[in-house]
Amino acid sequence: MRPVDLKGISGKRIMELSLANKSMERAAKRLAELGIPDRKSEEYRYFDIEPLMEKEWEPAVKRRPQMIERAHRLVITDGMISSMPEGLEVGCSDTLDLDVSHFDPMYYFGHLFGGDILQIRVKRDMKLEIKHIFTQPGKLLTYRVAIYVDANVKLGIYESFEAEEAKNALIVSGIDLFAARDSRVALYKDQTLFESDYTPLFSYRFKIDGNAEVKFASFDMGSGNGLQTLHAQLHENSSILSDHLLYAVENARRGTVSKFVHIGRSSQSRQRAKSILADRARGIFDALIKVEHSGKYTKAHQNSKAVLLDSGAYMASKPQLEIYIDDLEASHGSTTGQLDEKELFYLRSRGIAYEEAKKMLILAFANEIIDSIDDENIKERIHSSFEYSYYGKNIIECIQTCHGCEKTVTMSQND
Amino acid sequence: MSAIMKIENLHATIGGKEILKGLNLDLEEGKVHAIMGPNGAGKSTLSKAIVGHYDVKITDGDIIYKGESIVDMEPEERALEGIFLSFQNPVEIPGVNNAYFLRTAVNAKRVHEGKEELNAAQFLRLMKELVNELGMKTEMINRSLNEGFSGGEKKRNEILQMMMLQPELIILDEIDSGLDIDALRAVSEGINKMKDGKRSFLVITHYSRILDYIQPDYIHVLKDGAIVKTAGAELVAELEEKGYAALEEA
Amino acid sequence: MPEKELDRAVQGEYKLGFEIDIEQDTVPPGLDEETIRFISRKKEEPEWMTQLRLKALRRWKSMEEPRWGHLYYEPIDYQSISYFSAPKKGPESLDEVDPKILEAYDKLGIPLEEQKQLAGVKVAVDAVVDSVSVKTTYSEELKKHGIIFCSISEAIRDYPELIKKYMFSVVPMNDNFFAALNSAVFTDGTFVYIPKGVRCPMELSTYFRINALNTGQFERTLIVADEGSYVSYNEGCSAPMRDENQLHAAVVELVALKDAEIKYSTIQNWYPGDEEGKGGIYNFVTKRGICEENAKISWTQVETGSSITWKYPSCILKGDNSVGEFYSVAVTTLAQQADTGTKMIHLGKNTSSTIISKGISAMKGQNIYRGLVKIGANATGARNYSECDSLLIGDRCGAHTFPYLESKDAHGQVEHEATTTKISDEQLFYLRQRGIGEEDAVSMIVHGFCKEVFSQLPMEYAVEAKALLNLTLEGSVG
Repeated sequence: MRPVDLKGISGKRIMELSLANKSMERAAKRLAELGIPDRKSEEYRYFDIEPLMEKEWEPAVKRRPQMIERAHRLVITDGMISSMPEGLEVGCSDTLDLDVSHFDPMYYFGHLFGGDILQIRVKRDMKLEIKHIFTQPGKLLTYRVAIYVDANVKLGIYESFEAEEAKNALIVSGIDLFAARDSRVALYKDQTLFESDYTPLFSYRFKIDGNAEVKFASFDMGSGNGLQTLHAQLHENSSILSDHLLYAVENARRGTVSKFVHIGRSSQSRQRAKSILADRARGIFDALIKVEHSGKYTKAHQNSKAVLLDSGAYMASKPQLEIYIDDLEASHGSTTGQLDEKELFYLRSRGIAYEEAKKMLILAFANEIIDSIDDENIKERIHSSFEYSYYGKNIIECIQTCHGCEKTVTMSQND
Repeated sequence: MSAIMKIENLHATIGGKEILKGLNLDLEEGKVHAIMGPNGAGKSTLSKAIVGHYDVKITDGDIIYKGESIVDMEPEERALEGIFLSFQNPVEIPGVNNAYFLRTAVNAKRVHEGKEELNAAQFLRLMKELVNELGMKTEMINRSLNEGFSGGEKKRNEILQMMMLQPELIILDEIDSGLDIDALRAVSEGINKMKDGKRSFLVITHYSRILDYIQPDYIHVLKDGAIVKTAGAELVAELEEKGYAALEEA
Repeated sequence: MPEKELDRAVQGEYKLGFEIDIEQDTVPPGLDEETIRFISRKKEEPEWMTQLRLKALRRWKSMEEPRWGHLYYEPIDYQSISYFSAPKKGPESLDEVDPKILEAYDKLGIPLEEQKQLAGVKVAVDAVVDSVSVKTTYSEELKKHGIIFCSISEAIRDYPELIKKYMFSVVPMNDNFFAALNSAVFTDGTFVYIPKGVRCPMELSTYFRINALNTGQFERTLIVADEGSYVSYNEGCSAPMRDENQLHAAVVELVALKDAEIKYSTIQNWYPGDEEGKGGIYNFVTKRGICEENAKISWTQVETGSSITWKYPSCILKGDNSVGEFYSVAVTTLAQQADTGTKMIHLGKNTSSTIISKGISAMKGQNIYRGLVKIGANATGARNYSECDSLLIGDRCGAHTFPYLESKDAHGQVEHEATTTKISDEQLFYLRQRGIGEEDAVSMIVHGFCKEVFSQLPMEYAVEAKALLNLTLEGSVG
């Protein structure tokens, strides 16, 4: 198969693809306008995209499975469905009502090079678990998922990832979510990455119709690099609640770039980001709220809090407001600092060891977001993901400080 | 006795909902009128209608003040003509200095009356006097308008403005809410001092407590958007005892 | 006095839009090495300066005009601008200043006569018309304290060592497109030097005016506050009303050495153009200061003019314990666009910075706050607090906030808050119920909104700023 050289993608190749249909043509046009991201791209400003884009990538092979297994969840292996729950309406198509104003060129890249789009139609209230499995190391995997939620339907999605065999892969993917009138959608993304794992460049698009309500919550953890971009369009009386918990360690560069556009009247957005950065990790929160002239009585609030745990940690925060109407309520706030001295001291004065007190405060900081998950089952899973990556990272420290692990300590001393 | 204000068949809506439904009320010069009534009867709407609040839309009827209709007048014109409302919840305006604001208001009134404007020194002397009289802290003179004031401080500040502006018709909307006994005493002393036999008062209240301090001449009971009963001060005791519900049967 | 000022101000329209009828010596439009040599020759500059200018020109030619601002305007044709214009009569001594210029400055309300004192405070003024400094007052008195306050042309002649040492030291000639352009063609500006331990006994002030047609103004200001010294410096500006856009690309460099303090205040009132966006000044300005140990730089700006504003007065907090401050009121009305803010670069330990920005948009005005706070890895204990509030008046305007907050953990704290509101009906009503007319009530609330910034200005400038604010908002309310 022909390797993909991102920067070297010729206009000719894009032209070829764009001939397929109207939506491909649009994607090609937008990609040409925005260009493949480089050092100067505002949306990738803090991410260090250049090395990824300069590498010559071999595309991952998409294998159609012999048969699709029945399971309690939808499993997508290397961009193809390998198992799915009964009664789920899924199709494949190369056309889509494309978002023509997404800011992320990789959104269009994904649509152009991702082949058929996996399309899921949700007609009745349900909970859906989507598991993405990546198996091909060093490859570029590109695919897109579209989810249509019918009017007045309530949907909860839990998205998880498994990639033990996909070292150094680049995954360009994401979801187009269409929330019809009066629908209620909650999407929880739980993604822990380790260094030299795959790098996700995920672009989401939320089209939120009148009175619909979307909740998106991302739980990004670990030592790997990754960036998610979000573009939401809010129509009359609709709302989006967007929560981002980031726990990044070692040399991770991880974060969210988002643009929420209030188009209709009385629409609401609330965005909370909490970042915990250790070692030399870099957190990114670059979020724009735009209120169009038509977005009267909008309420938009955005808040970012970051805690830097080590001297090499770095937070880039860019909360932005772009407002074209006077009748609204909008605010944003951003703080970057350390754990609160007074709180730490209080705990220690009650006899709690320094490291333990720190952990308590970090967990409390993270729990503010985790505990706001309505679904108990999902909340539990995310709690354990967080604790896994949190204690996993500190395993040595844990062995040394935790009295419950004396056995382990003895064993390691024997070694 | 001449009426300072005549409210005739007043219909008013807030947000499209009719709150006042044909209200009639005469306020006599030099008298203290108390409006009592259950929550949601339209008491605050009445006070808003009189001062021309943007929430209230008058759909029918008229408000005649000193012989002229005021329903088409701008709020500041009504104020300059001598109507003063002590707000139930005075708004906070950051960055606008209390003294500067009040001097602007006082001088606007003086110019309207063809008087000399007060210079800063004259004004401050007067303001300080009243601030002391009301038992307020002098530092509030230079604070931002109502910003960070306690409930009691806000109410005292309303009374201070009233005393400085020397209005002719004074509307007190739930003036006693959130006041402790000392503040209540200071506030009502201020109000009583303003009684001069010419000035009229409209005391709007849910509870009768304030009426122990400010003796009313008339009690009007407002229910479901209209005045359902008017009597002398003796009605207070009756309402206290039997409640508003008893009026149903009356 | 404030009332009188206010009365004078509430007349509407751009009041400073007159043209001074004096003979001008203007170079034909266009920019090449010849133009540079011409300017340098006209100003009788030493060869080293000419060479620096030529170097800057070469740099500029290889650069691209930045387009990342949230600004929309027709491309500028740099070859159609005249880069030098001077009143023909060269003002060699104070007595020779063209009386018409003095008269013009009188109209602007600037006291050029030394005996004239504003509010009892002495203000030393350097006045710059188009490209040339026409008069500097009080310089003799300042000399007694060892203070240098003169035009930059004189400084190049008389104090070459100071110029060589500090010019381009804060804003390198290739810092950005507009700074490079300025470095090549700057025609005049002000130079200030405050010696060690001296507290400048009076406010220093420069007034800039663009007068001639089709000319750009490219002044350059350099202020050096030596160890332990203090200076408060103010600049103001205006331009005649013209249908076409005029370019203003200035550079300001501040050097605050150990324990020094510089307070720099700007009241910017260039012609804003009309409601359709026709005419007005394109104001592309680079302002930056560097703080050594314990030093402090405080920028205060009131921006009401120009059709396009692009400026980010910044502080490099290099020395430990140094302090940077930025206080800004930016008003955009008519069809004005302002992309303004600051950069606070924390390099030293325990450095602190404060940003208070108030944007007011009315009519079709677009107001953008853009700021960068960067806490370097060695800036242990650095602190920043930013507050950016926007007030919208009317539904055709826009208010945008684009802060960049980059923090390396150095046990520092970065805190940013922003709100966007309109004047609340409730506040407006409260004031009107007390008998204050609608327009006055709006003005009162707006002034309250800006108070934190105005309180940073020297008293007499605060009066001017308030008057200017009223003037600017006149007619855009309601």
